[in-house]
Amino acid sequence: MKIVAATVFALQIPFVEAFAHSVRNRAYSDSIVVRVEAADGTIGYGEAVARPYVTGETVESCVEFMVNTLWPAVQQQDYPTPPADAEAAISWLHQVAMTLPKTPVATGSERMAIPIAWHAARTGWELALIDCLLKAEGHSLGHLLPPKRSTVTYSGVITASNVEQAVKVAKRFKQFGLSHLKVKVTGTDDRDRIAAIRAAVGPEPLIRLDGNGAYTVESAIATCQDLTEFAIASAEQLIPRGLPTDYARLQAATAIPQMADESLITLADAEALIAAQACQGFNLRLSKCGGLASTISIAQLAAAANVFVQVGCQVGETAILSAAGRHLAAWLPEVRFVEGSYGKLLLTQDVSRTPIQFGHRGQAPALTKPGLGVDVQDEVLAAQAHQTLRLETASMAPS
Amino acid sequence: MTVRSLIETYYNAQTQEFSEFSKTQQLESGQLSVTEIDQFIRNLCRSHLKSPQILAFLYAIAPPTAADTLQHNLLEEMGLDEAGIRHPDLLYQLMAAAGLSAQQQATVAAAAQDQLRSLCTDPLMFGTIKELGLSVLLEVTCFEWMLARLSSRLGQALQVHRGLSEAALTWFYHHSEVDIRHAEEGVDAVVNYVSYYDIDADELETILDITFRENVFVRRYFDTNVLTSALPTLEAAQ
Repeated sequence: MKIVAATVFALQIPFVEAFAHSVRNRAYSDSIVVRVEAADGTIGYGEAVARPYVTGETVESCVEFMVNTLWPAVQQQDYPTPPADAEAAISWLHQVAMTLPKTPVATGSERMAIPIAWHAARTGWELALIDCLLKAEGHSLGHLLPPKRSTVTYSGVITASNVEQAVKVAKRFKQFGLSHLKVKVTGTDDRDRIAAIRAAVGPEPLIRLDGNGAYTVESAIATCQDLTEFAIASAEQLIPRGLPTDYARLQAATAIPQMADESLITLADAEALIAAQACQGFNLRLSKCGGLASTISIAQLAAAANVFVQVGCQVGETAILSAAGRHLAAWLPEVRFVEGSYGKLLLTQDVSRTPIQFGHRGQAPALTKPGLGVDVQDEVLAAQAHQTLRLETASMAPS
Repeated sequence: MTVRSLIETYYNAQTQEFSEFSKTQQLESGQLSVTEIDQFIRNLCRSHLKSPQILAFLYAIAPPTAADTLQHNLLEEMGLDEAGIRHPDLLYQLMAAAGLSAQQQATVAAAAQDQLRSLCTDPLMFGTIKELGLSVLLEVTCFEWMLARLSSRLGQALQVHRGLSEAALTWFYHHSEVDIRHAEEGVDAVVNYVSYYDIDADELETILDITFRENVFVRRYFDTNVLTSALPTLEAAQ
């Protein structure tokens, strides 16, 4: 199957409420949606979320890489039809992913800072291609990655706000019946916030921490010791991305299971973290880890090393990335926590006609519609895009 | 602070915030363009065209002590009371006066129907109808509270700055009259509902917080969002 045209939408969808953590405070979604058109007219959608402090990609560099490097490569390909059975699924996903270059072509790239990896950009295109090729055959991604559970249970995330606001959000989540809560911590008022949240939600919900790299190894150890009494289920990326041995020192000094996030971007990162016994958990995020194929490779490494996994999300992701995450979370043999699918809990408007958002208790069903299972509304993409680039095989110049 | 005064505090805050919202003030001072005013009219009609259906839902789950009031409001909306004015007809009258074609009016009606559809198809965040019903009741009665105070001002703004006749704006002037009664009865209905379904103070505060985390009028009438500033709690006020 040939891809004959594509459109890149750089979105700005306002949040219902601003979301803060130790690195950024954001008020809108800046997702980049890729819409591809196959020769038979089938349309597919993918999504990228560029984060300078995660992969090093910015929205601008991500769009530039998509237009100047990925699109020329995609239009050269004749994509293979998805396999009829799940046995060959992983190999097909890798075949699709391998068509996407990992480094920029020379033209136009000189002024771009080189990121850790072009993972967001590649994810946007990989998902669009998978969606398109599966839709052309009338298959759901769930046909290739058969769900091992009928519902996926999502976590609520409490942003880095003051204690009063954090308690308010915790009570909302309790009202929604969520049993998994993640709390953003910054090193300021951590104990007061966690104590107040635990008091508000009671002893049952599992609470975990996310530091987004705000701590030194020593302050992370001290924080974990200080918060142990609140039954913390895991602590995600308390220290910045750095040496796996630093992570190992933190993990050895605390009983709270440590989970790597920004430290886990590439397959090589996963191998190094496992070799160093740096942490007990991996946070797998599609846009961070480079799409479905490479995220599955990391998940397989984790399973072999007895490292638990969380399927994470990008703050502000739309239904497209959420749906891809849903498929992954439903298919993985073991998944401890899942994030995402916040839909209109966070966005003032989502791109899908049928909501992908989770419901009471954080539960959402496995998706079954063709492709990723999202009926994207083009009019919403058009209305929410601050930049739209139309790409056609005849001319590579954006309109 | 009593349950009643807590609810009234939220309603007053929502109303004041809407009154002070930049677009509302621009509407009242004649600074909105005709296109913007017409969009406001479309959004308002979309918000209220299906009010009878929403009231029918609330009537179905109302506690016995609030059922008569809600039934009366429902019949009134449907034009089956002594006044005999069908409220959706007043909205069609408004749209026609603003120059919306039959097709444009049908688009607004379809958008209103779509909102009802979403109510049924969106995943339920609450565990039972009890909580969902309270949230819907709070929003509906908050609208009555606001309309009792602001609808004649909104009508006046449309009369002066959009040149619509008084007859075309009957919906606004009618609501400024009937909603003074509705607003008071609405708070009674919420208090009765809270009591009948054994909703405790903490739960009420959380559902108030969830329902009014944005300004509901700004969201519905201007398709944008404004976060509500912090409001008192029963516990903090006691």
